Amino acid sequence: MPAVLAKPHQIAIVDNDLCDECGLCMPLCPPEAIHMTRKGLLVDRGTCTGCVKCIAPCPVGALEMVDA
Amino acid sequence: MRKVDVLVVGAGPAGCVAAWQAAAAGQLDVLCIERDRAIGAPVRCAEGVGVAGLREFLDPDGAPWVARRIRQVVFLAPDDTEARVKAGEEVAYVLDRTRFEPALADEARRAGAEFAIRTEAAAMERLNGGWKVRLEGPRGNEDVLARVVIGADGVESMIGRWAGIDTRCPSRDMESCAQYVVSNIDFDPDALYLHFADAWAPSGYAWIFPRGVGVANVGLGMLALKGDGRNARDYLDGYIERYFPHGTVTGLTVGGVIVATTLKRTVADGVMVAGDAAHMINPLSGGGIVNAMKAGRLAGRHAAAAIAEGDTSAARLQRYHDDWMALLGDDHLKYYRIKEALNKLDDAFFNRLARTINGIPIEKRTLGRIFAHALINHPALLPVAARFFV
Repeated sequence: MPAVLAKPHQIAIVDNDLCDECGLCMPLCPPEAIHMTRKGLLVDRGTCTGCVKCIAPCPVGALEMVDA
Repeated sequence: MRKVDVLVVGAGPAGCVAAWQAAAAGQLDVLCIERDRAIGAPVRCAEGVGVAGLREFLDPDGAPWVARRIRQVVFLAPDDTEARVKAGEEVAYVLDRTRFEPALADEARRAGAEFAIRTEAAAMERLNGGWKVRLEGPRGNEDVLARVVIGADGVESMIGRWAGIDTRCPSRDMESCAQYVVSNIDFDPDALYLHFADAWAPSGYAWIFPRGVGVANVGLGMLALKGDGRNARDYLDGYIERYFPHGTVTGLTVGGVIVATTLKRTVADGVMVAGDAAHMINPLSGGGIVNAMKAGRLAGRHAAAAIAEGDTSAARLQRYHDDWMALLGDDHLKYYRIKEALNKLDDAFFNRLARTINGIPIEKRTLGRIFAHALINHPALLPVAARFFV
């Protein structure tokens, strides 16, 4: 059995009111956890590792870290 | 299930030209889908384009998609020193992308391609030597079987991911951009302005691209890693407040520009990715429109040829990648090294460089002469030159 991966304490979420759906964050995400959906951008909770690489580059500050 | 020869995902410059060229090559069934409600909108672009590449595709003379013909490039130093560096009757154009993409789509449709707007690819899987792609549109969902899929789906590309191509990008190569359309402002309406300053756009630049007299796209691209914690829009608000406090802001757009070299792999069995989706942007300037059209042309032609040959394998489509690298991709490796070198230079360097340029008589300010003068007067540029010629 492989060791169970540590769950991140915090994960990223998208504030869809602020998000302009430019998709800039998508290629920045190492585990490719961010998806474009009909309802806007969505971070997959189970895939996000909490690495914060998507947070600062968002041109409108629509991504934030929250407790997992 | 509907069958098509070529499915193009994304009706931007890469996708429209890919559809155009694939359809023009023969009696192929070519379908191009666009996720947004309109081809060409919303605009997510500064809309500036050099003249040379543009004319390979469409004639700008009198065209409705030209917002402004540009005769001059103005370099603004961090201390606001103006250096006018490139002039001619026709140096560049500022496009109206809401009309430009429709003009490209027109060419594609006349060549035989079909378009579907507000339709997106939701998933795809290999089937019978092609790709089964689930399309979601205003009239519901539909599966399409395509022999070749061209992913021209932008920075947020999913086609590459689904085909097993690594489309990720490190944050040091991602410019965060914000732009306002600003009217009632004073500037030279025949010039593109590029403003280099750490305070306004760290590891990037601010731009003023005229759409007409008194109206311009005013924006900036910056590296968040080098910023002070504010986002691109915050930086832009600071820039507008300093330089255009009385302007009327009538539009906002934001987006990411990947200033990297081309993806190592842009093809898979039955798949090619093109344009922003394949990181085919000039990493020095951030310009991507003409590159996208040139890549789309190659992808469309290779799709048609591969189908005619009965071989749409990754090995056959690799010729698309190789042709792109020979055309522009290899140059981007050099531009990337120059970008990295420029990022190490500080504001004081750019201030000195602007004064050097202004010391050259304006009629003699060819780029070659500026480069030579810059080398003599600014030894800091030597590593830049060395990297360029290595």
